[in-house]
Amino acid sequence: MATIIINGEDHELPEGEKLNAIQAAKLAGVDIPYYCWHPALSVVANCRMCEIEVGQKDAKTGEIKMIPKLVPGCQTPAKDGTVLVTDSAKVKEHQRMIMEYLLINHPLDCPVCDQAGMCGLQDYSYEYGQANHRFVEERVINPKKDVSDEIQLNQDRCIMCTRCVRFTREITQTGELQVMRRGNHAEIGVFPGHPVDNPLAGNVVDLCPVGALLDKDFLHKQRAWFLSKHDAICTRCSTGCNVKAEENKGRLWRFTPRNNPLVNDYWICDEGRASYKAANDDGLLTSSYAKTGGNLASTPIDQALKFVSQALGQVARDGGKVAAVVSPFLTVEEAYLLASYLKGLNAENVLALGPIPSRGEDRTFTPDQTKGRTGDTSFVVPRPFTIHAEKCPNRRGVEAVLAHFQGEVIPFDAISKRVTSGEFQALYFTSDAIDAREAEAEAKALRDGVKFLVVQDTLVTPLAQLADAVLAGATFAEKAGCYVNADGRLQYAEASLPPRDGSLPDLDIFAVLMGRAGGPARSRDILAEVASTIPVFSAADGGVLPEFGVVIGQTNGQAAPELVGAGGRFDDPWQIPRYLKGDRPGEPGPKGGKNA
Amino acid sequence: MPAFEPVLTRNFAVPDSQTLRAYESRGGYQASRKAITEMDPDKVVQIVKDSELRGRGGAGFPCGLKWSFLPKDRQETFMCVNGDESEPATFNNRLLIERDPHQFIEGILISCFATKAATAYVYLRFEYIHAFRIMERAIAEAREAGHLGKNIYGSGFDLEIYCHRGAGAYICGEETGLIESLEGKRGWPRIKPPFPAIEGAFRKPTVVNNVETLACVPHIIERGADWFKSIGTPKSYGPKLYCVSGHVNKQVCVELPLGVTTRELIEDHAGGVWKGRKVKATVPGGISMGVMSADEMDVKLDFEDIKKTGCLGLGTAAVTVMDDQTSMVDYLYNTSRFFAHESCGQCTPCREGTGWMYKIFKRIKAGGGRLEDLDVLTMMANNMGLTPGTTICGLADGAAWPVKNVLAKFRPELEEYIKKNQSSKPLVTPLQKAIAAGTVAEPVALGGRVYPAPQPALRSPGGS
Repeated sequence: MATIIINGEDHELPEGEKLNAIQAAKLAGVDIPYYCWHPALSVVANCRMCEIEVGQKDAKTGEIKMIPKLVPGCQTPAKDGTVLVTDSAKVKEHQRMIMEYLLINHPLDCPVCDQAGMCGLQDYSYEYGQANHRFVEERVINPKKDVSDEIQLNQDRCIMCTRCVRFTREITQTGELQVMRRGNHAEIGVFPGHPVDNPLAGNVVDLCPVGALLDKDFLHKQRAWFLSKHDAICTRCSTGCNVKAEENKGRLWRFTPRNNPLVNDYWICDEGRASYKAANDDGLLTSSYAKTGGNLASTPIDQALKFVSQALGQVARDGGKVAAVVSPFLTVEEAYLLASYLKGLNAENVLALGPIPSRGEDRTFTPDQTKGRTGDTSFVVPRPFTIHAEKCPNRRGVEAVLAHFQGEVIPFDAISKRVTSGEFQALYFTSDAIDAREAEAEAKALRDGVKFLVVQDTLVTPLAQLADAVLAGATFAEKAGCYVNADGRLQYAEASLPPRDGSLPDLDIFAVLMGRAGGPARSRDILAEVASTIPVFSAADGGVLPEFGVVIGQTNGQAAPELVGAGGRFDDPWQIPRYLKGDRPGEPGPKGGKNA
Repeated sequence: MPAFEPVLTRNFAVPDSQTLRAYESRGGYQASRKAITEMDPDKVVQIVKDSELRGRGGAGFPCGLKWSFLPKDRQETFMCVNGDESEPATFNNRLLIERDPHQFIEGILISCFATKAATAYVYLRFEYIHAFRIMERAIAEAREAGHLGKNIYGSGFDLEIYCHRGAGAYICGEETGLIESLEGKRGWPRIKPPFPAIEGAFRKPTVVNNVETLACVPHIIERGADWFKSIGTPKSYGPKLYCVSGHVNKQVCVELPLGVTTRELIEDHAGGVWKGRKVKATVPGGISMGVMSADEMDVKLDFEDIKKTGCLGLGTAAVTVMDDQTSMVDYLYNTSRFFAHESCGQCTPCREGTGWMYKIFKRIKAGGGRLEDLDVLTMMANNMGLTPGTTICGLADGAAWPVKNVLAKFRPELEEYIKKNQSSKPLVTPLQKAIAAGTVAEPVALGGRVYPAPQPALRSPGGS
């Protein structure tokens, strides 16, 4: 077992992973401050914040030989016998010096800076800097500019870590950003007419350790410390990117990526980033409706549910069949409850997969290490990032549930024809599709095919206008549950907003319809039930998922160990709210999921 | 001292010394023919190693040792010749290229044969357009005569030399900055390791040598390592081109064995200090190497002895002389301006530190100096650069050393200057004015305080 000595204490290194001093120290619980290093980008060692004293212990004699000068931790491989000293007077003095240098040309505009509260300069000034500053000259004030329609660059705040430049060169390989000019006049910039408009552009904002690159969509809207961050899953395509849904005052304010090395690595696409807006839409249904006297009238949800329950029960008692369109936007638990409910009414009832929205083609970004500016990228683990054309989060999960209940997956077009031909007495149509697909003519045909139509949605669609009952369900932000992404990975998303007035989370709607006992349905209980009922989901045993999700269709025994990188989920230290560093009492850890 | 017979400059006085005809008539290309047809590459490396030829570019790294760092199983090797002679007051490479390009080409030829490089890039300073044209002509001549191209001397060894002009950046004289620039990127030095010998230009093993280093190689092959070691002082062997400039009667570039003293250079070769004045200080090897005081004029200018004076090293051996009427504040103002302008902007200490130093000297010069500025400068000078390990390349050392040396050797003069030159005009910045007036207090340290809070600026003499 390889051993590394950090500040005089021996720590074991994990097998089979290449780590640098920063990562190894983090595993041992020692923080080495840094700015320019990022685990997905090449090592440039230009911020000089991570400098430490490094040495090597001789395996035979046990003698420790230190390198006389300071060495950047990001560039130091952690090997057997490596000695790191991160808390000596020399190192601390150096950190103070770097902080002083970084701040001499940095404006003191934290009160109006969006990054304040999650800023590398603020945090490290407090931890490693000094209260004095001795710079009494005129500051260099580099200009503020736009690097794209969505992103603003406050060059005066920039500390030239070049993370953004390396991102556009190595990850997206579009290379829009570069460094211009020299010395303390150096700036990040774009060529005129070539803005940062690649599909992953927004990530440069998250990469920026200070408030230099800012998202104009979020600009001056919220302070970072007011936002509660919820571990959500982006529902805009089947990649299933892990995101932090940042909420305050009952609204979402932005999505930021959450590291999952097995899915989205450190990134999200701009389309997904903008998708939080759907949760704040003014057009969302705020009431359920039931048809009384030929007109749809606003009805309290409990009465609407009773209405639906009675009508569908009547159909079943009459020996009629109900068709259900199970939307690929529903979670696994919801699909399971809906299927159980309808199959429980009448085993002849038919379940079909909802329309699968698709746009464009899959686009994969494969990082190219050779585009890195430096030679040594041995610590960098590049993983491809894909934006899928399939714009729904849970097609595979719904398919697995449907396959379990009726052995086959009926596509929407097939059920649509059957409904139109009058085969069914009732149709239960679920959706939360952001772009409702069914056109008016199609809606009319579906309507005319059945006696009783239930639509469960979040927006008013053409079909809802014609329905007998409209149930106001939850948006992606208002429900907790699991999705299965394009690679078959089952991941848990927690709810980030409470249910809207007049609506009920889809899971509760189904639970009430079923008459399920035990109060509000919890996704964890239902997932446990899914895991014990449907063999494909057996990996979700007990309703608890591993941190990075689990691939369905294989049991834990079969699954190959997944290399996720030492230390689990990666976050830059300044991204982690300070009050979360310790355990807040009563708060479940991230592995269990808060609302599970 | 026995008369020294010039080696590198022996052809300089020959008419048409730039032509192949003139060079061959003086015995040129014999060494390369000998090396390529009679020796194998490893033997050439061994001879250069034995000669203990040290790099003439500044750091003095043993040339043969550098060549032996190349991986044994390499497929392709590049040779980069550093002709980006941008150190102020240095002009020996220019003379070597302009006056005797074929000696240089022969050096490249032998070195490429030794390192198995089939491509050599000569990176020339932007301003050296004349040298560039001469090189292009000389390369064409040499190719015509079969010294370059395919299957040289029937040995199966191929070599192409390309000349590349920089775009006028000091930093591109740093070896990895040069490689980045050569690749068409921004001239930002790379972190090491990996060293260029492992992964250099275009991610292939690369040797980077100075022009003068390579110009020595043909002579070593021709006359042997022992001959080379008979010149110079222990650990610093061979001839060296010394440039003398500044306040002397005759600015010269003169070839001498390593280990002459500054006094010899000034008195015997440069015609003494101008206007009958005395020496106050000398810069031993380009401004980045530091400053020697007049007391240290008898120190030998070689790779070892010079370090005893507190200077960084021999550098390019470009001696700049300052007479006794030169203000050290002016000198530091100029050097700090140079480095603030040339800092590439990559590492924090250099990017911010050089700019800060420049602003402090500007303020001192303008009559707003404070005595504690000298302490801030000492802190900066001691903590930036490759030596304390806080930057990627040595530019910051170059910026720090003049300041460090002057503060060590001429501090009383600086203090005197600051005390006497307090301008009654408003100080440079409003904040500074406020501090001087006592209306703004420096923030009180909240704990962990390291540096004492600055004192208020000195008032001008006689002022309130």
